[in-house]
Amino acid sequence: MTLFHFGNCFALAYFPYFITYKCSGLSEYNAFWRCVQAGATYLFVQLCKMLFLATFFPTWEGGAGVYDFVGEFMKATVDLADLLGLHLVMSRNAGKGEYKIMVAAMGWATAELVMSRCIPLWVGARGIEFDWKYIQMSFDSNISLVHYIAMAAVVWMFTRYDLPKSFRLPVTVLLGLCVYKAFLME
Amino acid sequence: MFEEASEVFDNMFKSSFPLTFIVFIPAVLILVSPLPAEAAHEFTVYRMQQYDLQGQPYGTRNAILNTEARTVEAEVLSRRCVIMRLVDFSYERYQKALRQSAGAVVIILPKNMSTMPQDIVQQFMELEPEMLATETIVPVYFALEDDELLSIYTQTLTSSSSQGSSSAAEVLIHTATANGFQMVTSGAQSKAVSDWSITSLEGRLAGTGGEDLPTIVLVAHYDSFGVAPWLSYGADSNGSGVSMLLELARLFSRLYTYKRTHAGYNLLFFVSGGGKFNYQGTKRWLEDNLDHTDSSLLQDNVAFVLCLDTLGNGDSLHLHVSKPPKEGTPQYALLKELETVVSSQYPEVKFSMVHKKINLADDTLAWEHERFGIRRLPAFTLSHLNSHREAQRSSIMDVRPHVDLRKLSRNTKLIAEALARVIYNLTEKGAPGDLQIFTEQMVQEEQLSSVVDWLTAQPRAAQLVDKDSSVVSTLEYHLGRYLKDVRRHYVKADKRDPEFVFYDQLKQTMNAYRVKPAIFDLLLAVCIAAYLGVIYLAIQHFGVLYSLVRRITAPKTKQH
Repeated sequence: MTLFHFGNCFALAYFPYFITYKCSGLSEYNAFWRCVQAGATYLFVQLCKMLFLATFFPTWEGGAGVYDFVGEFMKATVDLADLLGLHLVMSRNAGKGEYKIMVAAMGWATAELVMSRCIPLWVGARGIEFDWKYIQMSFDSNISLVHYIAMAAVVWMFTRYDLPKSFRLPVTVLLGLCVYKAFLME
Repeated sequence: MFEEASEVFDNMFKSSFPLTFIVFIPAVLILVSPLPAEAAHEFTVYRMQQYDLQGQPYGTRNAILNTEARTVEAEVLSRRCVIMRLVDFSYERYQKALRQSAGAVVIILPKNMSTMPQDIVQQFMELEPEMLATETIVPVYFALEDDELLSIYTQTLTSSSSQGSSSAAEVLIHTATANGFQMVTSGAQSKAVSDWSITSLEGRLAGTGGEDLPTIVLVAHYDSFGVAPWLSYGADSNGSGVSMLLELARLFSRLYTYKRTHAGYNLLFFVSGGGKFNYQGTKRWLEDNLDHTDSSLLQDNVAFVLCLDTLGNGDSLHLHVSKPPKEGTPQYALLKELETVVSSQYPEVKFSMVHKKINLADDTLAWEHERFGIRRLPAFTLSHLNSHREAQRSSIMDVRPHVDLRKLSRNTKLIAEALARVIYNLTEKGAPGDLQIFTEQMVQEEQLSSVVDWLTAQPRAAQLVDKDSSVVSTLEYHLGRYLKDVRRHYVKADKRDPEFVFYDQLKQTMNAYRVKPAIFDLLLAVCIAAYLGVIYLAIQHFGVLYSLVRRITAPKTKQH
């Protein structure tokens, strides 16, 4: 629509991150660079996932209407790498206690925002044509911020030794839900 | 956070100078890059004519367009693109749009003209010359209708007509959420085309029996005219004339191959271009043949010149003359033969001679024979139209269904018979009026039909047919099959005082973008600011929310 519309969508997408960063006290811990490192890990993990998918999963040659359950299931399993990545970030990145989660999630989600949403917004929202999908995209990034924070928290809980046994099951279920979310939505 | 970020950037800048370039140049390039936008709908539009004839400008002068769409019912039309459908088109509405200084006018034509009721077609045909006569700065485009364009039109219609609705709150909500369309053309401003050459073709059949034979010239112009050059197919005017000329060429070349039927007349066939622009092709051809060459068939003994113009329909035939032929001349003989053939063989045809003096004070000449008349060559035009001002001669509605093939072939036979009687001098030899020289099969209807179909398959406006065009080369090939000495003849406008000037940018691609009004952006900004405020408060007081949630879930665990 114009630069103004782009500004609107960008604000809608980015400001919650900014607010979360500021208000959760991360700034007091000089965690900016750690967030960037978490973002770099995100990039690395995505690259590995892409290479893996491209090498081992050939394109499905079947009909257009048939949904390849097995294939998509395998592809979704690769998203487990996301969880491993988060775990890696949290274990390697020094950071006190609970703030590890926040740092990892913030860095991860910001990297995802920049990589997957900035360019469509720039190209699309700046054009003359108006489409609701840009607002949707920005809103979606807000939701994924919350989603990643929750995911990081669950991963952290999974790796704790002193977790009561009763909590293990819901934690595992939640983790499973995170990974197969996209798959289940289909 | 900003301090850390600025520290990082500082280090980056201080360390190496090229690094900053690597960072900045892509950013700058991305910022200034032009936007490839996707449109809601992209369609081809055809511009109204733009030309200068003898210094007088006609038609629309502008080609670029980047305005919001509205329909005629809207109140504010200035600097907007007015969309009209052909069924709703009327001259008053068109004038209203122009008076309110609209940005552009787009007229949507149905894909199949024959579905339109006759009175609308007739009314539009009559309006075309009026639209062209007034010189408009506003670009006027024609588009062919399809489903998406129709939906764009209906949406614009609902939003335009509801602008006058009642309450202020409604209007506010409506303007904030309406779906507008921005129409943008992708071309440049129109410029005059320099060095455009109009092509004409000539061919001949030489007569037998010595030198200095009389010559009969048969002429038809092949170009078409309409309010939009790309939409002018010119079926009846003058596709019928050209196909008849080709058929006559075929018939007489067959006759001339046998010694017994080889007559003592030279036949010269001329397919002229630029006919609708005051017969430029014919004018220059005459100048070249009469002034600039030493010997030409036109300089010696010309019996008469017969121009064929619009003969594909109707049950009447008019022979237009600028001077009534005197007795004893070959023109008089042709007139008499035509009357004889009509009365004895085709009684359903009403034949008459129409006498109209050449008026040199007029902007344009009426019929093609007047060009020959000015050079003192005896000429007439045959047409089923009574007057040269008939709208059918220059309309985009003149498409293939306008030509009735049976009537065209009947007219062809009629003219062939009359010509044969003149050439072979049959009346003097005592042949009766109803002697049929050409039998039914000789005039080939399929040939006529295929020529007319081919001619009407593409627009033949003079601005679109240049010397490499397929129309010209196909006509040349066809003439070459029957005639000898087929030659091309080119007309270019004079540099200092051009008789005709054509302009380009006649066909454009128009994009319709869905846009929202500016207020919508502001509204959205306000909503987003409110949303962000709520989020900020939620995060600031996250502790409160957390304890609230715990209090809700806590009684449940206590019950365990």
